[in-house]
Amino acid sequence: MEKKKVLIVDDSLSVARQLERIISESGDFVSAGHAKNGAEAIKMNHSEDPEIICMDMNMPGMDGLTALRTLSVMDKEVKVVMVTSLGGVGDKFTEALKLGAKNVISKPFETDDVLRILREL
Amino acid sequence: MAVKFFGQFLVEKNIVTRDALLRAIDLQDQNNLKLGEMAVSMGYLTAADIQRAHNAQMSKDMKLGDLLVEMNILTISQLNDVITRQKNTHLYIGEALIQVGALTSDNLQQHLIDFRADQSPYVSEGIELPCSIANSNIWEMTADLTYKMITRVLDLQFRPGKCEQLTIINTNFMMAAMDFSGDVEARYLISVSELLQKKIARAILREESVECEPPEVLEDTVMEFVNVVCGNVAAKASQMGVIININPPVAIRPSVEGLKVPAGHTGFIFPIHAGDGEKMQMILLIKN
Repeated sequence: MEKKKVLIVDDSLSVARQLERIISESGDFVSAGHAKNGAEAIKMNHSEDPEIICMDMNMPGMDGLTALRTLSVMDKEVKVVMVTSLGGVGDKFTEALKLGAKNVISKPFETDDVLRILREL
Repeated sequence: MAVKFFGQFLVEKNIVTRDALLRAIDLQDQNNLKLGEMAVSMGYLTAADIQRAHNAQMSKDMKLGDLLVEMNILTISQLNDVITRQKNTHLYIGEALIQVGALTSDNLQQHLIDFRADQSPYVSEGIELPCSIANSNIWEMTADLTYKMITRVLDLQFRPGKCEQLTIINTNFMMAAMDFSGDVEARYLISVSELLQKKIARAILREESVECEPPEVLEDTVMEFVNVVCGNVAAKASQMGVIININPPVAIRPSVEGLKVPAGHTGFIFPIHAGDGEKMQMILLIKN
């Protein structure tokens, strides 16, 4: 079975490293690269055509919810999961789901939780 | 492993679907009227009164209820009536999920027990500030949650020192900061020695050794730790009815003289004594 491409969007190098490792070691997914903010995510979604995007909310420049709003209009196929320290803020969680996010993963996250949610998509 | 609200917990555990949660939230939105809407529904004021108060809010940093009283649109007694009605008719997410058919009354109770157990590591314990300040419960919770995250995320043995008020922040190898806005305004800082920065990096990157990592990656791990703590503080604050917005974290390399607490701010330092005499501090600069 072909591995699903996952684009990582986070301004933090260390979070990108953690997620890239989880993705590459999973056997089911392959990294489609790392964007550092929402604007880069929109560009890389066009150039890399990932099946899944794991995206932070709180980033400099274009934030994750703004990018999600744009992506949900531009690309109906891509599945976006928000990976954020703000996951526990009810309003942010709800806004992300209403804008089309498939799920929200709170930081700090466990490898098993990330893979379970990505495999359920 | 993070601070969550009940609906999120249920979706994460596959107990309810994302769509069921959204239906329940829609039901809450229809049922749980905002203060102005409730006051209108009770016949205390008109939509035009609310618009007048919203316009006044642009130049006055006051909550709508207080402003309505100050503008003589609502009496204190009416405001209390409205707040009581809001509380008495509030539809909680668990009840909303029952109403949309996603849960039953019986399994709601069990899921609430499981949720409380999941969140028990984040129940606040007593931390006292050295002087009184507005929203002290939020700042005490912030310190408490920082300690809990040092244990759970960094797996670091430490002893918290006594919180003190300060005017100068002594220098350290590196600091990471995050600004809070919303119902409170403050800057949250973590300052670390070089050795502790490496310990944080090992924990965040989940690597045995970080000796070959470039300085920007090591700094980034401290910033990410601050991001995780502050995001969870915002989540906990929202459960306490206080809105905290956070900005992306920044790295600071202080000069040897340290940093002065800015005018109009109160500074608190929470020393964190890690092993080997290594120095770590949590600092809050709270706008007065």
